[in-house]
Amino acid sequence: MKKSTMIIFGVVAVVILVIAMLAGSYNSLVSKEEKVDKELANVDVQLERRADLIPNLVNTVKGYTSHETEVIDKITTARENLLNASSVEEKSEANDELTTALNALMVVVENYPDLKASENFIQLSDELAGTENRIATARRDYNDAVTSYNTSVKKFPTNILAGIFGFEQKDYFEVSEGKTEVPNVEF
Amino acid sequence: MRKIGLFFLFFIFCLIPRSVLALDTVEPTTNFYINDYADILSSETESYIMEHSVALANQTTAQIVVVTVPNLDGASLEEYATTLFRKFGIGDKEENNGLLLLLALEERQMRVEVGYGLEGILPDGKTGRFQDDYMIPYFKEDNFDEGMLNGYKAFFQEVATYYEFDGEVDAPVENEMSENDTFASLFTFIWVFGFSGFMIYILAHNSRNGRGGRGGFYFGGPFFGGRSSGGSSFGGFSGGGGFSGGGGSSRGF
Repeated sequence: MKKSTMIIFGVVAVVILVIAMLAGSYNSLVSKEEKVDKELANVDVQLERRADLIPNLVNTVKGYTSHETEVIDKITTARENLLNASSVEEKSEANDELTTALNALMVVVENYPDLKASENFIQLSDELAGTENRIATARRDYNDAVTSYNTSVKKFPTNILAGIFGFEQKDYFEVSEGKTEVPNVEF
Repeated sequence: MRKIGLFFLFFIFCLIPRSVLALDTVEPTTNFYINDYADILSSETESYIMEHSVALANQTTAQIVVVTVPNLDGASLEEYATTLFRKFGIGDKEENNGLLLLLALEERQMRVEVGYGLEGILPDGKTGRFQDDYMIPYFKEDNFDEGMLNGYKAFFQEVATYYEFDGEVDAPVENEMSENDTFASLFTFIWVFGFSGFMIYILAHNSRNGRGGRGGFYFGGPFFGGRSSGGSSFGGFSGGGGFSGGGGSSRGF
């Protein structure tokens, strides 16, 4: 009698322990997913901030130049694409496109010393560079959160829970190598 | 039985995700606010920064930290700055009102990194302009000590004004070196020549009278040297857990 009671207690204890562990894993999955979403929202804020700086920049450049419409058009299009992007992949592509267009502008700017030296342009360049760095930082934080989340989704035993409750792996915010580099100036 | 238990524990430990350290930066010194790893700042500048940053932090929780490093070890200036900012935890955890002035000597780069909470009063454009106006002209002439001190004063004034800091605030020197330079060197020229002429006259006069070596001229002493103990008497300061999202601006010089 005494022995069987002990066995029952033991079984109950193990069951409780397992449930507690499962609940813990589930909760950690949820909080990791929340973190991914939060970091993505951060990236979005910075992307939008970047897009918001563009009209000002374009106007400043237009004030000093008259026939650089091609470069400016590319920037405007890239900005619209960025604002319309919805998935992580689209966003990172549109962001790269804007970077390429802006780099082309910076090359053109070299031909306009007055523009380059104007206080307004220097300030806008700083804001843009700062925002680009914020995007880079937010992207790193987002990717770190995704790594942690994806690892949980794949690893045993959380992968079982992830399967049951439909936690799917998330996309990284990729940055294409080369596009971030400043293009070479050709004469 | 115990072996199985141990194995189980080990198994659980394996499941705990390890945090990935992406980048290695310098560690905060015990002075926290001043970390002159490149060894380019004078002890006067160091104790000035130390005193002011401590007073500011005590009154407002805002933290201004100066770091100089010999090199960045291959990392980008921006990534290094953000990593270091977070590692130090500059600024209050709630307010994120930290500010980092980072100079990399070998790379000849300067970055001002602003915590979230100070981005309102120090937008990127302003931090860039402050560097252009108050720091870079000095750095270009390898005058790191004066440039850092002057830039520190500029940023300190900005933060102190915002928080209505009740204490000593010095205005930075607005830089117009190109115009002042010729005048200053001319002035020095006249002064040095005039003074040495005067000295030669005195010495010659004295020795003629047979009283050489008794002139009471004394240089150095209280004006130069001295105060070498600088900030070493401080200690035990640390960050408030502030965070930065990568705001600020960078300059090469």
